[in-house]
Amino acid sequence: MKEQNIIVKTLTIRSLRKNKGRNLAAILAIILTTMMFTTLFTLAQSMGKNMTEMYLHQSGTKAHATGKGVSDEEAEKIASHPDVASSGRSIVVGLAENLRLAGRQVEIRYGEDQYAKDGFAWPETGRMPERKDEIALDTLVAERLGIEPKLGEQVTLEWRKDTRLEEQTSDTFTLCGLWEGNLSSYASMAWVSEDFVRENCGAVGEPEDGQALGLQMIGISFADTEHIQEKADKVLADCGLTGVELTENLAYAEEVQQSIRMENLPVYVGMLLTFLAGYLIIYNVFQISVASDIQFYGKLKTLGATRKQIRKMILGQGSFLSVIGIPAGLILGYLLGIVLVPILMSKTENALVSANPVIFAGAVLFAFFTVMISCLLPARLAGRVSPMEALRYTDADAGSGKKMKRSTNGASLQGMAWANLWRNKKRTVLVVSSLTLGLALMSFFYAKNASFDVEKYLAELAAADFQIDDATNEKVGGYDPQSQTIRPELIDEIASLEGLEATGRLYSRETSQSLSGRARENLESFYDGERLEEFEADYPDFPNWKRGFDEALGGKETIHTIYGADGIILDAAVGDGYVLSGTYDPEQFATGEYALAIGPSVEPQELLPTYSVGETVIIEGREFTIMAVLSPLRPMTAGMTPSFDIPLVIPADVYTELWPDSHLRKYYFNVADEGMEEAGELLNSYQQTKAVGMSITDRKSMTLQYEAETRSSAVIGYAISVVIALVGVLNFVNSMVTAIISRKKEFAMIQSVGMTKRQLGRMLAFEGLGYAGITLAVSYILSAFIVGVVVRAIAEEGYTSTFHFTLLPLAVCTPVLIGFAVLIPYICFRNLEKQSVTERLRMS
Amino acid sequence: MSIILSTTKLTKRYGKEPNIVNALNEVDLVIEQGEFVAIIGTSGSGKSTLLNMLGGLDRPDSGSVRVDNYELGKLNDEDLTVFRRQRIGFIFQNYNLVPVLNVYENIVMPIQLDGKKPDKRFIHEIVSMLGLDKKLYNMPNTLSGGQQQRVAIARALASKPAIILADEPTGNLDSRTSDEVIELLKASGRKFHQTIVMITHNPEIAVQADRRIRIEDGNICE
Repeated sequence: MKEQNIIVKTLTIRSLRKNKGRNLAAILAIILTTMMFTTLFTLAQSMGKNMTEMYLHQSGTKAHATGKGVSDEEAEKIASHPDVASSGRSIVVGLAENLRLAGRQVEIRYGEDQYAKDGFAWPETGRMPERKDEIALDTLVAERLGIEPKLGEQVTLEWRKDTRLEEQTSDTFTLCGLWEGNLSSYASMAWVSEDFVRENCGAVGEPEDGQALGLQMIGISFADTEHIQEKADKVLADCGLTGVELTENLAYAEEVQQSIRMENLPVYVGMLLTFLAGYLIIYNVFQISVASDIQFYGKLKTLGATRKQIRKMILGQGSFLSVIGIPAGLILGYLLGIVLVPILMSKTENALVSANPVIFAGAVLFAFFTVMISCLLPARLAGRVSPMEALRYTDADAGSGKKMKRSTNGASLQGMAWANLWRNKKRTVLVVSSLTLGLALMSFFYAKNASFDVEKYLAELAAADFQIDDATNEKVGGYDPQSQTIRPELIDEIASLEGLEATGRLYSRETSQSLSGRARENLESFYDGERLEEFEADYPDFPNWKRGFDEALGGKETIHTIYGADGIILDAAVGDGYVLSGTYDPEQFATGEYALAIGPSVEPQELLPTYSVGETVIIEGREFTIMAVLSPLRPMTAGMTPSFDIPLVIPADVYTELWPDSHLRKYYFNVADEGMEEAGELLNSYQQTKAVGMSITDRKSMTLQYEAETRSSAVIGYAISVVIALVGVLNFVNSMVTAIISRKKEFAMIQSVGMTKRQLGRMLAFEGLGYAGITLAVSYILSAFIVGVVVRAIAEEGYTSTFHFTLLPLAVCTPVLIGFAVLIPYICFRNLEKQSVTERLRMS
Repeated sequence: MSIILSTTKLTKRYGKEPNIVNALNEVDLVIEQGEFVAIIGTSGSGKSTLLNMLGGLDRPDSGSVRVDNYELGKLNDEDLTVFRRQRIGFIFQNYNLVPVLNVYENIVMPIQLDGKKPDKRFIHEIVSMLGLDKKLYNMPNTLSGGQQQRVAIARALASKPAIILADEPTGNLDSRTSDEVIELLKASGRKFHQTIVMITHNPEIAVQADRRIRIEDGNICE
């Protein structure tokens, strides 16, 4: 056995030395493959980690299970259960209601250290509060409150002891702890001391319905995250607690973990693609080298090398090259991962790059596996060669072909090239179809991506270049019409902006009145049983909505949200496809005798759950006729609204006549490109200095966000087609190279009877052009069909796309393909030329 | 003397209807141990096909080949390879040396492939008999044709095979070198009791054989 290994090893190493060019190509391919695997493993690991982190932030705690409304005694029992590895309690005081904090929920609480640590709210500087007048905040809250993120600062918070009453309490604290805030957490914590909490609330445990003060929560963790709910239930049962519930942290739930794995799908697709691409490159490199060395292997076989020994030699070469390529790939891949993780994870600010050894082990394993699989077929080809065949290896299907060819045209270079092309039909078809597939797919993805219409997409989200919202637009308690975030001075400044093109105003307030009989009938028939059920399943606030709905049907007073709109926002709200029934007439509407009702987001139809077209409604003593029913436009209706309301739109001027001192809820304006920057600066400085809670939406940043969101899916699409096209090109290279190598002797023969080098070179170039020509012809036809029919159909389906016919990728690839078609035969031919005609003729 | 090589109704065809070439046509042949047989015939007569069949390099369409009581047709590819490297030494007109191995490595390669340790003393005996002592570490492409053929002979002899099959071993050599090579072959055949089957075009060489077998159009005509 030892002797066998020695000679097999010797032959392996000597073959390696002989094929320096091939080794370089193979090592590069291995480096690339390993690099991609490492990067992908890094991404998968890091993204999984980041996703879990994100879900934990969303649920607000790392604790495995949480309980609400727990009394001191119950908390004590749960915490001391032997299964509970760690636990922390927290008592709620209330929500901070400072105007500057609008849009961010800030919970004033006492928390035990463990609770704060679990809740991503552990002071990085300073400490948790101990004295009654101390407080710890995150940087987001400090920033919003406009205080320096420095210990010792004074912080005043407004809150309500009884959420049912309007009366606010104001307390001033000294900042004793700070940490970095995270926007993906649903709320920020404002930690106060236990003494402060106990002093403000009588009993701790479960407060009355709807109240927050004194609500005690507990978060517990077990040794591991398996079967959390079962363990939590066991804890409760062991403690004999029945009134308390412990709920599993959703971030650890199987469904969430499952969806995290789904989020990683692109990475798995990437791995598959890497494997395919790596396989194809390495396979091609080895296939070509085996094909050109086939007589060498035949010789070995004649002299007694078995199939297994020959296979071993080739796999050995693959392993040897892996030893060089894989480590290099690992390092490059990890570095690439460090760069890529933050780019791909645009949503989270602090992306974590995992350095888990699993990454490297996995990448090594996958890369080596790819190399071995790639070498397997060439190794089998070499091992299977029969000694006789090796001696007369020619490149054609055995036994096929025409018996006669009636032609007296003689031999033209083109004719010979064309005939050569079909010597191995199976391969020609394979080459052409794999190239075509890649090109057609690329055309498809490109045309599909190109049909995405950012304008249409943005229309859904932004009606104007800039939109500003009142600070209370999204306030938990509802929009406050008295709030004056958007002051007249600001509107004046905007009006004087350079390049201002159009503006739009939006006012809104709520009124109450009972619905007309028609409207009630409409509601009742629109929300039939099936719709209600669907609604119940989708809409978290359904119980409140249902209460309002039932009251409306019962003839009680119902909240009507009255919008006063004009300019861009009004135009957008009645834009294409938004009018569900009736017709909008701008002149008539401007008279102030008409109103528009807003229905649900459905297809245009007659039956809609609001006033019917033509009905009259009285608003603030004035009579309006309903002109049309609209589908809601997000830029108009987004914000806090009652669970159940009937929205109506009247002209802004009429609105201000009805309610003379009204303040804008939202303001919209378009600016020419040159004014963009100035406008942005104006709004930002206004927001910083005068209206911290004001929200600014600008189309440009929405576009950027959109691009970031669609980037990964576009990249995957292109990657798939590039890999397939690459497969095609490699097949093409492979078949050209083997076709030429295996015809060495034939060429020598042709040359010996008078074909010049030039002619031979041209014949080979014609062969290549033949491949390219067929491929391009088929690709253009197929792509035109795919783009013209399939992509058109998809684009017409989607509401954010506009179809354009384009074959740009194909046009770009055409010269590349033709270049390859000429270049590859030329290179092979140059290699052939190294041996003289007689040398080649003498080869057996 | 015992029979070491025999064929019965050995047939091999090439090509397809209607252009079938009968390379071998029901050939019956018996060769005894220790014989030195020359196969002669015009080109295309089927000499090489016969030799390849005897060595198990090619498979017959019908009929059988027995070597040393082994029915070659019954061995699978892998076993055939092993059989060949253990019992048969091949010498080719174009030497078939492995270009990436030096002279010594070429000579011992079949033995090593068989998983055996080369018998160094024996190898040195052959090497000095063939006059290759000073060339042991040369690569094949630095040797003359005659030297390369001597390496091929050394390789064929190194595993002490019972049979040596030589396909025009002197075809590429000048007449003086040819004579030397034939002398060497005969000497080693005598020394190690080997059976030698050799294809040749050269009547002078054929005369030196114990027996001449003439093949014409795939038939034996002795």
